[in-house]
Amino acid sequence: MLSKARTNVPLVSGELTTKEVGGFPVWEVFTQKKEPDAHLHAGSLSAPDASFAQQFAREHYGQDQECTSLWVGLREIFTCDTGGLETYEVFVQWKAGDKHEHVGEVEAASGAEAKIKGAEQFVGDKTNCSMWVAPISKLTKINSATDMIWRETTKQEYRLAKGYSRIVRQKWDALRAKKAVDAYQEEDLKDTF
Amino acid sequence: MSASANVEVNIKDCETADPEKLAVFEKHISDGGLIEPNDWMPEAYRTLMLRMAEHHANSEIVGALPEGEWITRAPSLLRKLALTAKVQDEVGHGQMLYEVAQDLGKSRNAMLRDLITGVTKYHNCFNYPCPTWADICMIAWLIDGAAILNQGTLAHGSFGPYIRTMRRINMEEAFHFKHGEDMVLTLMSGTAKQKKMAQEAFDRWWDPSLAFFGPNDRPDERERPAMKWRMKTATNDELRQKFVNRFAPAAMATGLVINVCKKDENGLVISATPDPKLKLNEETGNWDFTQPDWDEFFKVIRGNGPCNKDRLALRRFSYEQGEWVRRAILDGSTEKPCNN
Ligand SMILES: [Fe+2]
Ligand SMILES: [Fe+2]
Repeated sequence: MLSKARTNVPLVSGELTTKEVGGFPVWEVFTQKKEPDAHLHAGSLSAPDASFAQQFAREHYGQDQECTSLWVGLREIFTCDTGGLETYEVFVQWKAGDKHEHVGEVEAASGAEAKIKGAEQFVGDKTNCSMWVAPISKLTKINSATDMIWRETTKQEYRLAKGYSRIVRQKWDALRAKKAVDAYQEEDLKDTF
Repeated sequence: MSASANVEVNIKDCETADPEKLAVFEKHISDGGLIEPNDWMPEAYRTLMLRMAEHHANSEIVGALPEGEWITRAPSLLRKLALTAKVQDEVGHGQMLYEVAQDLGKSRNAMLRDLITGVTKYHNCFNYPCPTWADICMIAWLIDGAAILNQGTLAHGSFGPYIRTMRRINMEEAFHFKHGEDMVLTLMSGTAKQKKMAQEAFDRWWDPSLAFFGPNDRPDERERPAMKWRMKTATNDELRQKFVNRFAPAAMATGLVINVCKKDENGLVISATPDPKLKLNEETGNWDFTQPDWDEFFKVIRGNGPCNKDRLALRRFSYEQGEWVRRAILDGSTEKPCNN
């Protein structure tokens, strides 16, 4: 009766015999839950290149939880001081423990300048914040209007807690009612017969 | 699915830390402050946090193994969809936690390899068998329920990346738990055969659920680094009591009986008798209960449980089989490993 599905897996122990390949670089992912909310840092992932990073980000951060837009970028681009003249997205973590949130964009000649401009425009004299800036040319943006992220084609309630509240309540009610009836019938039989 | 209950650390490191910096750090934490990866932290904090996140990550991906085996045998399309989503979530939790741990200084590859070769551990409860569909129901209800209790307190910890991960994970655990409750209620409102299957699975999982929170508290639990530095905010025994208070009456309301069980070396129950201690203690307001079999717990954690070898063998199998894929992705070489 125990599972036989995996019995062909050999029981080996000790050191691994495979040679390991190098590690994957780390990517940062931002998601927007709904319009017009700010993009919030959802987390990071390891992926070999931009196209894998996008796939993993969609699968992991986009399809587990509903979102309307998703941005992915190599971790380095958020802290890098170099770069050319272009638009930079600015993200601020207002205090330790918070997520970095998208606050706006600046035009700058480099990452370093973007940080200065970003601080002037969005942070002001607030202290203890952490700021990331990312050149938009290096950030991949996926929009659900043109490119599906959350699978809307099938109902997704089965993967959310709220999808079960009603049915669970009904089952508890039915179970309790049945118990009450059983108890009543037992009493009934005792008293009457 | 579960967080590390007990990871020890050598606190000698912290004695060698700059005493002034350490004092500022500890004041910051006791004032409710949070730590981000770039902040100064004693080496012992970094090590302990890394081990906690790594153990937690290991548990998430090993926990998905027994559940994954049941996807093809789920009793309905809806259950199959939900179980697939749960397994995907759990592996996702592992991925997020490996990222947290990696940022503290150990590579993902090293962590995945240490798990397979037994250098590091995963949660003990995944060393028990899941012989029936009802085991899947009980895991989702009891173990994920226990994980929510535990992780709810971990979300008030002191390390930013870990607590952010806990908050996100807990939203998904809530689905696992609710789905588990639905499945248990389905069985317990069903036929005599379904109820029997549920009771037998409950007997297998009640003890591991109690043991889920880790061994009994030591007298100086709150002075130890994990609690002093607010990585944990509740003790094992406090969480266990909370769990029993919540789940014992619920289980009985469904018609389940809480038994004290003896198990054979395959993890299957050979005798079950109602827990003689189980009752609501009017004085304390808590439910009294029989402690899990700690001798058995330590035996299993040392590697001698019913499923330790199978779990690691399966993990090793997928890791080794996947090596050529990882290599092909990274350097374009498609040569398959010679040992396969
Ligand atoms: Fe879970
Ligand atoms: Fe999980």
